[in-house]
Amino acid sequence: VVVGAWICLLAPLGGALTVTGAGLSISRRTAAYLATLSVLVAFGGAFTAFVALLGRSGGDREHVSTAWTWLSGGAYRSGFEVLIDPLSVMMMLIVSGVGFLIVAYSIGYMDGDREERRYFAYMALFVFSMLLLVQGGNLLLLLAGWGMVGLSSYLLIGFWHERPSAIAAAKKAFVMNAIGDATMALALFVVIKRTGTLAFGALGDVHGSWAVNLIALGLLGGAVAKSAQLPLQTWLPDAMEGPTPVSALIHAATMVTAGVYLIVRTHVIFEAAPKVQDLAAGLGAATLLLAGLIALVQVDIKRVIAYSTMSQIGYMFLGVGLGAYANGMFHLMTHAFFKALLFMAAGIVIHALAAEQDIRKMGGLRQLMPRVYWAFLIGALALVGIPPFAGFFSKDSILAAAMDHGAYGYVLWVAGLAGAFLTGLYTFRMLFLVFWGEPSPFAREHFHALKNDVVGVSMGATVGVLAVLSVIGGWLQFAPVWHPVETWLETVAEPLVSPTNWQEAVSSILAVGLGAAGIGVAWLLYGVKRRPVPRAAFWQRTLERKFYFDELYDALFYRPSAWTARAFGRLIEQPLIAGSGRELGEDTRDLGGILARLQTGLLRTYALAIASALAVLAVVFVAVK
Amino acid sequence: MTTLLILLPIGAALAIWVLPLNPVSAGSLAVLAALVEVGVWMQLLVRFDFDQTGLQFEQHRNWFSDLNVSYHVGVYGFSVWLIGLTVIVMAAAIAYAFWVGREHVRAYMGLMLLLDGAVVGVFSAQDLLLFYAFFEAMLIPLYVLVGVWGGPGRLGATLKFVIYTMAGSLLMLASIVVYGLSKGTFDLVKIGSSGSDWVFLGFVAAFAIKAPLFPLHGWLRDAYTESSPEVAAVLSGVVSKAAAYGFLRIAITKFPGPASDFRTPILALAAVGLVYGALLAFRAPDLRGVIAYSSLSQMSLITLGLFAANDLGFDGSVLQMVNHGLVSATLFLLAGMIERRALTGELGRLGGMARGRPFLATVLMTTGIIALAVPFSSAFAGEFLILAGVFQQGWGWAVVGAVAIVLAAMYMLRLISAVLHQDPGPAISDAALDLRPAELGIVVPLVGCLLALSAWPAAISQHSFAGDHPKQQVTEAFR
Repeated sequence: VVVGAWICLLAPLGGALTVTGAGLSISRRTAAYLATLSVLVAFGGAFTAFVALLGRSGGDREHVSTAWTWLSGGAYRSGFEVLIDPLSVMMMLIVSGVGFLIVAYSIGYMDGDREERRYFAYMALFVFSMLLLVQGGNLLLLLAGWGMVGLSSYLLIGFWHERPSAIAAAKKAFVMNAIGDATMALALFVVIKRTGTLAFGALGDVHGSWAVNLIALGLLGGAVAKSAQLPLQTWLPDAMEGPTPVSALIHAATMVTAGVYLIVRTHVIFEAAPKVQDLAAGLGAATLLLAGLIALVQVDIKRVIAYSTMSQIGYMFLGVGLGAYANGMFHLMTHAFFKALLFMAAGIVIHALAAEQDIRKMGGLRQLMPRVYWAFLIGALALVGIPPFAGFFSKDSILAAAMDHGAYGYVLWVAGLAGAFLTGLYTFRMLFLVFWGEPSPFAREHFHALKNDVVGVSMGATVGVLAVLSVIGGWLQFAPVWHPVETWLETVAEPLVSPTNWQEAVSSILAVGLGAAGIGVAWLLYGVKRRPVPRAAFWQRTLERKFYFDELYDALFYRPSAWTARAFGRLIEQPLIAGSGRELGEDTRDLGGILARLQTGLLRTYALAIASALAVLAVVFVAVK
Repeated sequence: MTTLLILLPIGAALAIWVLPLNPVSAGSLAVLAALVEVGVWMQLLVRFDFDQTGLQFEQHRNWFSDLNVSYHVGVYGFSVWLIGLTVIVMAAAIAYAFWVGREHVRAYMGLMLLLDGAVVGVFSAQDLLLFYAFFEAMLIPLYVLVGVWGGPGRLGATLKFVIYTMAGSLLMLASIVVYGLSKGTFDLVKIGSSGSDWVFLGFVAAFAIKAPLFPLHGWLRDAYTESSPEVAAVLSGVVSKAAAYGFLRIAITKFPGPASDFRTPILALAAVGLVYGALLAFRAPDLRGVIAYSSLSQMSLITLGLFAANDLGFDGSVLQMVNHGLVSATLFLLAGMIERRALTGELGRLGGMARGRPFLATVLMTTGIIALAVPFSSAFAGEFLILAGVFQQGWGWAVVGAVAIVLAAMYMLRLISAVLHQDPGPAISDAALDLRPAELGIVVPLVGCLLALSAWPAAISQHSFAGDHPKQQVTEAFR
């Protein structure tokens, strides 16, 4: 178990270091193979650990292996250690498995880029960071992985660093995530103060509602930043500036779902702070609606998918916020499959159309690339949650769980159902615009098919595997009949809600019906005849401006801090502090000048000075005596 | 061994001044001496017993016996790390000066080596007058190095630097005299604690100027911008740590009462400096301005940790002193290398240097992300301990610190992007080379130290004070 986990963690780091260290001495293709191999080895390690855990009884499935003391301060210690339990193994399998497929896909997608080696070093570094996040055996290492995924995300979003927009997006993502890191760090300070340690077990020992709420809020801050939920959601759409496989791996399948993992991992503290828990679920519901609405007017294929990611993570937050941990994690897994599939299929489209991402210029691609169309269709159906595709099994259970949470649960439930309708609408709007109808002039002009070489195989085969997973991945658990995921995770996090079969059925029927209705509306609007985005000036502008969040944050945070910095510079630093030295210098020189005048060189002046000094001294002497 | 560490560079300095060497052999001798110094320190590190509380490698000779002044040197756990930081950064700075080829190389190298010995002396002196002597011996070479070999504005910069530090030194001297005479000895180990506010404030003023702390940082901007890059690296990397060391070894240990009475105002100044420095770094128009103000911010953070006065704060501060020393020295050296290629440090005229210059891009990116304390880096480890420590003094301090972390990300990313990304700026020609092997040989060891510390920050935080209770040691054993 332990060996497998360490191999899983360290193999991608080794890959990243080898590719970086080898530099120009290896060819670009070799670098790509090395990175892919290192992630495959990681998957092998994860699988070994999984099999080893399967062979043990439920109570014996938690292991911590410490390599060395990473940080200490006084009596406080945190080891460099990995935690192997059902939850971390599940995440390890998803991260290294989907990660391997996406890195393998990159061999084709990034072929010919001048800085391919750097790309693969970053990708391997990201997989290491993400594994550190999910395997880290204490809160500090979790935060370390948390920061490292933010860093590799920054590096990969800004991979094409000549583009000002890419660099701006990368910086924005990093700073937004740094805000989350900071609130998490504050939560950890409370934990240290109360318990003197950062072991996960310590969370259970924190008492007092003030401390508990503060810790939960701090952790939630980190979770919403990383998972692009309200109110720290604005970085994700911009992050689409990175290469498409990066969007698939980091901004769909793995990193952005880390917030969900965090809540499940630290569920003890959230259960002790039910208000924060409700807040998490509420933020999830609000985000899923908001993102679904914005997705309706986006014209960039990657941004539509990015908003659908935000929206789906909203479902996961909704689920784990209600205490339906296994359902949330199950949706995380199926989402990793079908969202990676959508991004990678979109990547093939972009690749085939000379890097064009505007869906208005596409059209009729079904005729040009039928296999990609089928893959995309599978992904889209899974996303909307149409049976028997994967999303159906995982999403509907979350909605059913909402029905088991009183009145507040019903509000969330309605939001989730509305979201299902929106999902159908925006997903198939995109699908119809891109693939249906006659091929657009632009598509005809620029289309070039994938060849059957390494490039074509690496992209085609991986998309094929994900398409299969997006179909069968959901069959792993069908709530009323069998629930292996729930049983697997039971020892880590007991669910708080247990919906009845009746609630499952109602939710499923309504969700599927609404999703299908969404598809129908999309078909009426965009399938039968091609019409541009809906025309309602105010709403359209609001949606295109993403509800003005960027403008709001600019006015609330960026401008005031830039203004303060400028004011400090002008009003304090320049005149008072930087100028002080010069003035001191001048004053000293002036004083010296005055004193120098005393040295006249005339004997009578000195005699006068001596005499008057003696006189003063005599007076003082007499007076004192 | 401690004496050897002090005298070796000073002896080498005298040899370079006295012997009629040509520039190349003078430079080589200096680099060799600096490297041997690193080797001697490694011996010290290996032979040091980190489980033992007291002073080690102690040497004691009477000097003025009627005043009880003595030549008394020795090292504690945390001094070992600060001396290590000194000798490593000095070796890199001397090597860089040799590579660049400063004018009057014998004079220059001699001064650098003298500085090396003096700083090691500051970190190991256990007698107040000896400490003062080394403190001054450290400043004098700096005046000359900034004043003679600096940039166009060097005279103004030197003048400010001299006035500020002289004022601090005089206050400290007055404090030392009063304190020592009142106790009848100047020996730091024997002298015992004092409750005098004025004596305490005299020391604090000297260290607050040297660190610097807001608002006593008037000398910082010009001194860091006008001096040659390796001198700036030493100033911010090493010399500023002498001030932090002074806070720890003298102000906090010897004056427990005043240190606790003045805790809130000092923490407040540090908190202001932390945010103020970060904001100015975000607005600074040139490379060295960003690094200079980030240095103000970081030294404030270290002060915050020291005056948190608990286990986490002390351990974190020592770790962060080493981290910041390495980070800031590397950044100043890199700034120098970039300025040599672009002939300017203005951020607006740089850019696009990543394309075709993989070594520069990798080294600058690595240093930059450690500097902004990305989690899992050694700088993160240090900041985390410091803020966790100061959180226990009051949650507000840690919130300010958390804000500064976000600001640090903003100014450091701005610097990285301005140098490396987007289209090449007007000052960057295609002929601007990647880092040369010699330059890599200078900065890569520094970055290597940072990466090693990132893998194992406990190497320092666990081995600065013997046992698990730094606070107990500071308040009892060192008093």
